[in-house]
Amino acid sequence: MMDKPVNNRAWFLVLPVLIVVAFSAVIPLMTVVNYSVQDTFGNNQFFWNGLGWFQEVLESDRIHAALGRQLLFSAIILAIEIPLGIFIALNMPKRGFWASLVLVLMALPLLIPWNVVGTIWQVFGRVDIGLLGHTLAAMGFDYNYVNDPVDAWATIIVMDVWHWTSLVALLCYAGLQSIPDAYYQAARIDQASRWGVFRYIELPKMGGVLLIAVLLRFMDSFMIYTEPFVVTGGGPGNATTFLSIDLVKMAIGQFDLGPAAAFSLIYFLVILLISWVFYTVMTAQRETP
Amino acid sequence: MRNRSLAMGFTLAALLMLGLLAWLVLRVPSEDGVREWTGSLDPGGWMAWTFPAALFFWVIAALLLAFTWAAIRFPETPRRGALRIWTTRGDRLFISLLGSAFINLAWLGFGGTPAWGGLILSLIYAAAVFRWV
Repeated sequence: MMDKPVNNRAWFLVLPVLIVVAFSAVIPLMTVVNYSVQDTFGNNQFFWNGLGWFQEVLESDRIHAALGRQLLFSAIILAIEIPLGIFIALNMPKRGFWASLVLVLMALPLLIPWNVVGTIWQVFGRVDIGLLGHTLAAMGFDYNYVNDPVDAWATIIVMDVWHWTSLVALLCYAGLQSIPDAYYQAARIDQASRWGVFRYIELPKMGGVLLIAVLLRFMDSFMIYTEPFVVTGGGPGNATTFLSIDLVKMAIGQFDLGPAAAFSLIYFLVILLISWVFYTVMTAQRETP
Repeated sequence: MRNRSLAMGFTLAALLMLGLLAWLVLRVPSEDGVREWTGSLDPGGWMAWTFPAALFFWVIAALLLAFTWAAIRFPETPRRGALRIWTTRGDRLFISLLGSAFINLAWLGFGGTPAWGGLILSLIYAAAVFRWV
């Protein structure tokens, strides 16, 4: 065996990143941990509260309800965007002028900032001046996302589908493009049906990118804040108050630093768990050390 | 030669960590000779440090340091256990810590007395992870 010289001094090159991460993540996280076990009335005066805030958050009906809404929202988003994205990717032109045009069109929604998307749909859905709201009202539908929880949910879901289905479609399209023609030729020789080609060639070959799409969409929808905040502000009532909206209300609206800190630590742990599963599942297929 | 400088470096780091712990203990405020372990370490400071939170991060830092040392001193090959994924000692530490967080939350959610009950469950869980995962 060759004895390779190891030079660990390269680790010093990581130092700048460590410093940035310390200031942007580690120090704030440490502060949040400190806040989560104490109570304050402002003025940087803190009083020990032990695990009281965690207990309060774990038993809070309000947060349970927000978590329920959040999970329902993510489930609906995945159930619509993944099949729709696959369907669009299968029907996109494979080469030539139209392929380029469709790619650009599909990428457009992804380039728009979240708050702009929210504003677009907020105006679009208004009954008095919005194209969508006015048209629906003219057709006789009783549509009003400000007063009706079902309409508010529908608006936010359609907005998210409009914003992010392209991502799923583009990822699947990339997966489809990487399938060599020989597979399709073999399928034609075997007289495979369209469904057979999809089930046994396209779907398995898309597996890797599809997994990335599912997990990206899950994590993104689980953390959604800006769009529902701009469109409905969490209303009507609490109908569209998702976890992050509730968290901001608690921390900045009510200035309940302790409960908000405990809440955000639990939220962070959930996201850490999901990210870990995401990373593990993604790398487990390829890696065999 | 390399081993010796490595040992020197980690001994120094261990001494630094012990010194840090001693300094933290000294910072704990006391009233009438009685130490108030949950009192503020830096009254008026915006990070609002208390000894329990500081000790928590100290333990995490010490674990990271110890596992770094172990990884260099006793190199290992990843193995595949009950979860059917490849893990090193560091991965198993992460799985233990993340799982422990949820075990403690669950303990708290289902009553939570005594408070250290969750910690004991977590230690059993961590031992199981290091043995079988």
